[in-house]
Amino acid sequence: MNVSTTVGHNEDNNNKFVNKLLGFSVADLDHTADVQLHAWGSSLQEAFEQCGMAMFGYMTDLDYVSIEHCFQLEAKGDDIEGLLFHFLDELLFLFSAEPFLICKKLEITKFDLENYEIECRCYGEPFEIGKHPQGTEVKAITYSAMQIVQEPERSHYEVFVIIDI
Amino acid sequence: MVVRPYNEELKYLEKISDCCWRIKKEFQPNMKVEGCFYVNSRLERLMLEELKNSCRPGAVGGFLPGVKQIANVAALPGIVGRSIGLPDIHSGYGFAIGNMAAFDMNDPTSIVSPGGVGFDINCGVRLLRTNLFEKDVQPVKEQLAQSLFDHIPVGVGSKGIIPMNAHDLEEALEMGMDWSLREGYVWAEDKEHCEEYGRMLNADPSKVSLRAKKRGLPQLGTLGAGNHYAEIQIVDEIYDKWSASKMGIEEKGQVCVMIHSGSRGFGHQVATDALVQMEKAMKRDQIETNDRQLACARINSQEGQDYLKAMAAAANFAWVNRSSMTFLTRQAFAKMFTTTPDDLDMHVIYDVSHNIAKVENHIVNGREKQLLVHRKGSTRAFPPHHPLIPVDYQLTGQPVLVGGTMGTCSYVLTGTEKGMNETFGSTCHGAGRALSRAKSRRNLDYKDVLEKLEEMGIAIRVASPKLVMEEAPESYKDVTDVVDTCHIAGISKKCIKLRPIAVIKG
Repeated sequence: MNVSTTVGHNEDNNNKFVNKLLGFSVADLDHTADVQLHAWGSSLQEAFEQCGMAMFGYMTDLDYVSIEHCFQLEAKGDDIEGLLFHFLDELLFLFSAEPFLICKKLEITKFDLENYEIECRCYGEPFEIGKHPQGTEVKAITYSAMQIVQEPERSHYEVFVIIDI
Repeated sequence: MVVRPYNEELKYLEKISDCCWRIKKEFQPNMKVEGCFYVNSRLERLMLEELKNSCRPGAVGGFLPGVKQIANVAALPGIVGRSIGLPDIHSGYGFAIGNMAAFDMNDPTSIVSPGGVGFDINCGVRLLRTNLFEKDVQPVKEQLAQSLFDHIPVGVGSKGIIPMNAHDLEEALEMGMDWSLREGYVWAEDKEHCEEYGRMLNADPSKVSLRAKKRGLPQLGTLGAGNHYAEIQIVDEIYDKWSASKMGIEEKGQVCVMIHSGSRGFGHQVATDALVQMEKAMKRDQIETNDRQLACARINSQEGQDYLKAMAAAANFAWVNRSSMTFLTRQAFAKMFTTTPDDLDMHVIYDVSHNIAKVENHIVNGREKQLLVHRKGSTRAFPPHHPLIPVDYQLTGQPVLVGGTMGTCSYVLTGTEKGMNETFGSTCHGAGRALSRAKSRRNLDYKDVLEKLEEMGIAIRVASPKLVMEEAPESYKDVTDVVDTCHIAGISKKCIKLRPIAVIKG
């Protein structure tokens, strides 16, 4: 697994959306139909939160989003990849249907890696055309080339997810 | 996956005619049939380059090259004939986009795969004609583009304006365009000019998750984003005058409207749900595939049947969606020209589905067989006299609508007997991406792209201008190459060329 190669293509990319402060980037692979989310953090929980933010960052410009509401979300999986998949799928659903929430901040309050369960507080506001710039539509989350890198010894965690757009 | 040096890989590929390559059975493990792909010299280079790049040491990424994907599909249980790559093929999730494959319905091990349909179930193209000519539209082109943009909700987060509640949605999912007709959004003759008459009868909304319905409800009657568009087009060339006249296209300069859209979040969720279910079914039934992305289930299993019924509901959703936008388009034109859609002769020429699986009868090795035909980024192209095409096109063959990309031409082809024999009555669907989204953004500037369109005299209205580079013509294969390859190979026949003068997109 060579993680640096995957994102290495894009280092010269001025349009690449990197948020160093928040800890995520959205990098397109040199493939023709997909976008890869890459997020990191000092804990796996944080990397998951950032991955969710990366997805929202692809749908609009987060600078235009303010925190008006908070929604609680639950996700379950059969394994850690499944958990990440369903967590993102729940977030996508939160955006795609009532309450049409675009998130500015995610806070995972329960991160259970034994039963693979997540509870998360999602802060943001309903998406509104005119107020929020329209980015790309995410069709689906995929398991394709999903990578979850855990290096507890140096408190470094990374996740890579390909979304279908 | 077998990894060999590029030169080794080439030994498994053989050029069998000017524009067709054979993929031998040893190219990937467990191939049950051979693969093939159609390319001309320019497209051939793109195809082989993709393979070459994947052979470089240390290559990582999401998707395998298209030719590997064709071969992996050839290894799926129950496949018959060949796994076929059309000229616009490019790598996608599981199946390449532009891959078709047919599975024997009478073989109990045969599978259905959501990856062989795509996330955007029944994504397709509809073409409306008008009796207007370029000279009528040019002076009001900008206003007309704006009016269409105002009428049709586009882009991420947009919501439909056709009044709908949960009960209406259930009915629409079951009835497809019959619902649109009952509610007065379409004309009776529109249905005649749709595949399946705009309704898949096996649709069962009870097999669809609540989640999919919740995603679908607000999005009905919306265009979407990405490569979806509505375009005002001018007839630029007529190659087959007689067939064109059967479609109501008499002369160059005539104005048409093309709508390219699918089943929106509804279909995406149906596909996602099915993939999750099928992962489990594969373990239970011990179905082995070369690639985890080729999740599938036996056609006769519960999961397989449930998917086909849910997929049919999503297909119906897509037809209602395109029908709703047809209604809005007719309204926009009628207002602009202060007349009625009837007087503008705004008939549906045809409506094709290029992401779908269908049960069809084909001749395999001299015997008729019932097959489940997967077409992902591939359009059905039935020949003249086929019982499933409408009366109006019995003598011409089925119209095939091939959408170009922003600023390039689109084509209308017709189905041929040769295509029926060689490719299960299938042909290309569009330009097909050549550059990744990353490359497009690195190499192109959105202002240049917009300026260039303006220079070409194309009015454009787009919800997210910064993303137009991804959809710029430079990001795609040349649609003319794609269509010419199909024409030369004889798997479909050129009829009409259309050029855009206004583009509306997400």
